[in-house]
Amino acid sequence: MRSHRVSLGGAALALVLALSASPLVAAESGTPDTAKRIKVAMVPKLVGLSVFKANEDGAKAEAAKLNIDFLYTGPVTASAQGQVDAFNSLIARKFDVITTTSNNPTQLAPSLMRAMKAGIKVVAYDSDVAPAARDFFIQNTAYPAFGKALVESVIKYAGPNAKIAILSSTPDATIQNEWIGAVKTYLAATYPKVEIVATEYGQSSPSQSLTAGLNILQAHPDVTGIIAPDGAAVVGAAAAIEKLGKTGKVFTTGASNPDAVRQYVKSGVIKETPLWDEVKEGQLVMYVARLAANGALKDNDTFTAPGLGTYEVKDKVIVFSEPLIFDASNIDQYKF
Amino acid sequence: MDMRAPANANAVTPRNRRRLPVGGWELALTGLLAAVVVGFGAAAPGFYTGPASLLGLTENFLPFGLVALGLSLVILTGGIDLSVGAVASLSAVLAAQLWSRFGVDIWAAAAVGVALGGVLGLVNAGVILRLGIEPLIATLGTSFLYGSAAVAAAGAEPPSGFPGGFTALGTGTVDGVLPASLAGLVPIQLVVFAAFAVLFSALVARSPFGRVLVMVGYSPDAARYSGIRTGRVLVTAYAVSGAMASLAGLVLASYYDAVRPDMGDVLLLTAITMVVLGGVSIFGGEGTVAGVVVSVLVLGFLRQGMLIAGFSDMVTTMLTGAILLASIAVKNLFNRRGTGLANQIWAMIRRPEPPRANPS
Repeated sequence: MRSHRVSLGGAALALVLALSASPLVAAESGTPDTAKRIKVAMVPKLVGLSVFKANEDGAKAEAAKLNIDFLYTGPVTASAQGQVDAFNSLIARKFDVITTTSNNPTQLAPSLMRAMKAGIKVVAYDSDVAPAARDFFIQNTAYPAFGKALVESVIKYAGPNAKIAILSSTPDATIQNEWIGAVKTYLAATYPKVEIVATEYGQSSPSQSLTAGLNILQAHPDVTGIIAPDGAAVVGAAAAIEKLGKTGKVFTTGASNPDAVRQYVKSGVIKETPLWDEVKEGQLVMYVARLAANGALKDNDTFTAPGLGTYEVKDKVIVFSEPLIFDASNIDQYKF
Repeated sequence: MDMRAPANANAVTPRNRRRLPVGGWELALTGLLAAVVVGFGAAAPGFYTGPASLLGLTENFLPFGLVALGLSLVILTGGIDLSVGAVASLSAVLAAQLWSRFGVDIWAAAAVGVALGGVLGLVNAGVILRLGIEPLIATLGTSFLYGSAAVAAAGAEPPSGFPGGFTALGTGTVDGVLPASLAGLVPIQLVVFAAFAVLFSALVARSPFGRVLVMVGYSPDAARYSGIRTGRVLVTAYAVSGAMASLAGLVLASYYDAVRPDMGDVLLLTAITMVVLGGVSIFGGEGTVAGVVVSVLVLGFLRQGMLIAGFSDMVTTMLTGAILLASIAVKNLFNRRGTGLANQIWAMIRRPEPPRANPS
């Protein structure tokens, strides 16, 4: 994990630009062939969400370096139909690469397969589509690593004998369930005395998550940690802890962009909370898009992206990074 | 008899003016359609790359048109069916589960799905007639019921990956029947939509059922006093609306090669927009299927054209709203029922004496 000591997101970008321009970094990697200008689109689950905006910021900066015509487009609400509309228009406009994070894996597949048939490369990131409907997938972090990060950022403060609760989004949310599975596996192996006494769902809504958080704390006064691996859930859990005056006695952690949890990290309700660097992930998406368009990336491969690091492609899947832990000392470096 | 000069502001214009399937509104919409297609063809590279690509674009919006056709019958009666999206989802999910869990042939399962849609429409009509609940509230309620049932039936991993023949319904073209030169040109969806468009147009404009449907919408009391069994008419309208919504759901399932319990949600508002822009009065009793058909094509090609021209979903949606408001404002301005602003001004100009010449 890299940690650039900078104070602003914009400055972080500038630093990355500077790093990649330095001959030392460029020398250790094969710079991709950028002679031909290509058109690459980034289609998020919906436009206007700050984490996706952070991806866009990174992608835009990287696109400028890689001779890419960059377009950020997507539906206003998180709908698969809206994403398919976007794909269809991109196919008609003969884009070279479509990158997307999917609202659901199956519904997008036929449209993306049409795109692949038309010679368009498809790169999924963040949330995968059906494997047959994309050329490469960039996974945020490996599930076991994220599960470990979630556990450590609570147990370090609540202790190895704590009673904890889980506050998730919905019972059928794929990523959340994978993370909760990883949390349980890691707990069983490392902290067998930690007991999960309750699992609640906040439906990805801040107010419902707050209610669920209050329910947990009132029904189980002995709970000292809440693992809330969802952007709304961690905010709800933190607000519930603060509301009941349990700051410093109960600790929570989750998967949220720093902007949403900044106040709770500063007030100490959240000691540590893991995510990944969305700006850099956007950069990597563009780098992979360039390689894919050049036909320079195999299903199993390794490559070095200047300023980002060396990555392994394993069966078309690229794991982006280790979790990035936000705490009171570093959270102000990240603005998204 | 001069119909353009109402004797008083509340005069009811005879209905037979609307019997013909094509009127001024439909012609105006057709002009708009031509402008949209030619305009985007000239200005948006990728919109027109041959007749096959232009016709292929219809695959992206005709499910909305199927819903709009069924919904137009309900709106002609003066009612509304807010459950179409949920009906589409539930039927598609249940048909897909019949195929995936019970090994039923996919076409048989699809037929069951469409029939189920008709039954769900009957339930809507039953709630409206037997329980005396307003259509707006009744179908809002059933939409929650059907939607939740779809979520429950779909489970954590809804079926996907249908047999090739079924996916042709949503994305295939008519080959074999037509001359070889037309192979790959006409989407199956377009043929299905055209067949239903002709059927519904004939039903509303030419059949006794259509006349009764419009009468019930224009004045339910008058229709009842003339001995029309208004209940039966409503039952038919809602059942047809349900069946058409299901058909749209199955076409979507084929198009996406997957089902989702929320896949029909997007259908409702766009379909209502298509019906109303098509010239069907939201109060019932007025409008033609031809208008709805043209409005489906206008809104569909407009959206596809906007997207291909590079406008975001946000701008496209905004423009749809603006067009709806502007067109209905224009229509109301010239409304011949006497409430249109232009008509009232015209009436004042025509008659110098104050309109309240005869207070009772």
